[in-house]
Amino acid sequence: MVKNITIFTTTTCAYCPMVKKYLGAKGFTYDEVNLDEHPERQQEALALSGALTVPVTVVTKQDDSREVVVGYNLAKLAPAVA
Amino acid sequence: MAETTIPKHDVIIIGAGPAALSAAIYTTREDIDTLLFERGVPGGLAAITDWVDNYPGFPKGLAGLELAGNLQAQAERFGAVIEFGEVLKIHDEGELKRLETTSGDYHARAVLIATGSDYKKIGVPGEVDYYARGVHYCATCDGAFYRDKRLVVVGGGNSAIQEAMFLTRFASHIDLLVRSTIKASDVLQKELQKHVDAGKITVHLGTTTDEIVGEDGAVRRVRGTQAGKPVEFETDGVFVFVGLKPNSEFLDGSGIELDHIHLVSSDENLQTNMAGVFVAGDIRSGATMQIASAAGEGATAALKIREYLEGMPHPVQN
Repeated sequence: MVKNITIFTTTTCAYCPMVKKYLGAKGFTYDEVNLDEHPERQQEALALSGALTVPVTVVTKQDDSREVVVGYNLAKLAPAVA
Repeated sequence: MAETTIPKHDVIIIGAGPAALSAAIYTTREDIDTLLFERGVPGGLAAITDWVDNYPGFPKGLAGLELAGNLQAQAERFGAVIEFGEVLKIHDEGELKRLETTSGDYHARAVLIATGSDYKKIGVPGEVDYYARGVHYCATCDGAFYRDKRLVVVGGGNSAIQEAMFLTRFASHIDLLVRSTIKASDVLQKELQKHVDAGKITVHLGTTTDEIVGEDGAVRRVRGTQAGKPVEFETDGVFVFVGLKPNSEFLDGSGIELDHIHLVSSDENLQTNMAGVFVAGDIRSGATMQIASAAGEGATAALKIREYLEGMPHPVQN
């Protein structure tokens, strides 16, 4: 079970709205961290994903375990929120 | 044994870029049952292009993401459905084409191939090793990670110049490595000169990119060759825009004819050598690789598909 979801995005990223649209269609709410507005959180996104890219979706489960999905990757995102 | 029913559509469009969405606007507006398959993001390369200045009807230009969103919204307004998945194979079964996809098999009376292109890789050491950790192909996605950093941009075409200029909003300085000469449009070259004059971009013509070198998990420099001599550029990241690679691998073995650079061949009606299978946009042999052209070809293909369907004996029965 999903406890909460955080998506790291930028304003110009085309893949970020796709992730938000997918999660919205599945009925999930999420917190969004726009790195253009919060550049101080870039290192946090990098540490979580190991990649200098967005979107980065962090799915925290009820047992506080976390799954991190880099990019618009439904093959990983769908099971992460299942 | 129970017969498995394969979903059928009048038209299946492979891709959801400008050509595909323009075709879908035309087909769905005429109540032609249309399904699109997209493996990435609607809008394709246009969606990840920072700014589009030459699409007719937008005198001030608009963001590629906005143009992609507008095209998608217009197609969906008339009933276009986008399935997020990948078409793996096309089989010619006469009046119907069978498409193997990641969501199972589908039948279509007509198919439009509008899969476009992706950015090419350079193919040098370090490029794969540092993918998304210092080597990038999408400035609008990843540029924000390079605030006040040095960057190298590789390429000399429209995309390289456009994206290098976009990246100046983040980077402290950009070295633009151009293998031969700049091929971008005059308008873009004039814009580029402003960034050169401002000291934000340095252009290195006749410079090959030979290796991307990192240390401690991060990109540190690019090694190249200029006038036969080795050169090095200190950098925190590399953005690559060295041309386009057609998304046509899935057509291998289908019988659909490709040209020598793997673009799809077609006749004057945009129909391939497989009856009922049409092609439009950047994936078509002879395409001009312009968003406006792709949109126009999408509309043309839709009209030709309608003519083709009108000549067929049976409407789709699901």
